[in-house]
Amino acid sequence: MRRALLLLSTVALLAPANAFARGEFDPTTEFEQHEWIPIHLGPLNLSITKAVVYLMLGTVVTIAFGLFFMRSKAARMPGRRETVGELVYDVAQTQVAEQGLPHKAIARWFPYVASLMLFIFFINLLGFIPLPLTGETWHGIPTWGIYAATSSLSVTLALALLTFFFTHFEGIRWNGAVRYFKSWIPEAPPALLVLIVPLEILGQFMRLISLSVRLFANMLAGHILILTFIGLMFILETLVLAPLVIPVATIFYLFEVVIVVGIQAFIFAALSAIYIGSAIEPEH
Amino acid sequence: MISTVLAATSGDVTKAGKAIGLALGVGLGALGAGVGIGNIFGSMIQSVARQPELRGELQGIQWLGFALTEAVVFYGLLGSILAYVLV
Repeated sequence: MRRALLLLSTVALLAPANAFARGEFDPTTEFEQHEWIPIHLGPLNLSITKAVVYLMLGTVVTIAFGLFFMRSKAARMPGRRETVGELVYDVAQTQVAEQGLPHKAIARWFPYVASLMLFIFFINLLGFIPLPLTGETWHGIPTWGIYAATSSLSVTLALALLTFFFTHFEGIRWNGAVRYFKSWIPEAPPALLVLIVPLEILGQFMRLISLSVRLFANMLAGHILILTFIGLMFILETLVLAPLVIPVATIFYLFEVVIVVGIQAFIFAALSAIYIGSAIEPEH
Repeated sequence: MISTVLAATSGDVTKAGKAIGLALGVGLGALGAGVGIGNIFGSMIQSVARQPELRGELQGIQWLGFALTEAVVFYGLLGSILAYVLV
């Protein structure tokens, strides 16, 4: 069963959308956004693109996972389903929420952090399952391809902005605006403060960049790596490379699915918890 | 010296420079991250060998450090690609 699944995914990976155009394979075109259903509200562009469809799918899968493994009647009985649900909950609570959030804020922010972890995990994972959502057809049949919504910077930046906003909102709510912004100023001789305070403020925005770019670049690099290795055959137009290229691409694929997908979701949630926690309780 | 090298190259020198820049950016980024990740896992092995009962607690910190270090390559990669595409 497992071997069959592996074979199937390899075969599906072998058919990236543009590959059939001989000699015109460019992996970067996989990441272009086309407006499938254009929605324009004044200057706002709310069109349904590939990334939006993947996000919707991810939302549905996340909700279904929660309902199936944690909320259903069978999930409350001792059994395999309950074990999976509790394992996920345990990781979210002990490894993510309790590492970063102070005790008084856990009840309020655990749902946010846990759903962030699950949501990012599922949109990352959906990115490695070949789906007929490439928006291209081959003789009328939609071609199957892999694409992750998180390999678009807009998606990860929106997620990071949520955390950024909540961090300062909570900092001000728990400490008051004056005390919170004063906590950014460390104890140092006044001459040094001129240097440190701008750095500290810059650091708050660097968090936004590092949080979004980490997830984005990880997923983008993973997809480009797999597509490029498969595409090498089509660029050089030779099948001799197949025995070399397919195992390498499969290894990278497995590395991404087994390690990177979970770790990136965990890291995003854990860092969100740490940032929110450090705003609620500034040290000193 | 430089003029001789430039004279020896018949192709597009800007293109070559871009390619060298891209390779240097990614390569040096990977070098740094490689050292860092090696350090993290090495320390993890040592700590678990000394105190195996702390394994669960250390694992969270280990993966956090791993991801933070690994991201450095991607900053390098992104910067290099930007330089390659935009310049």
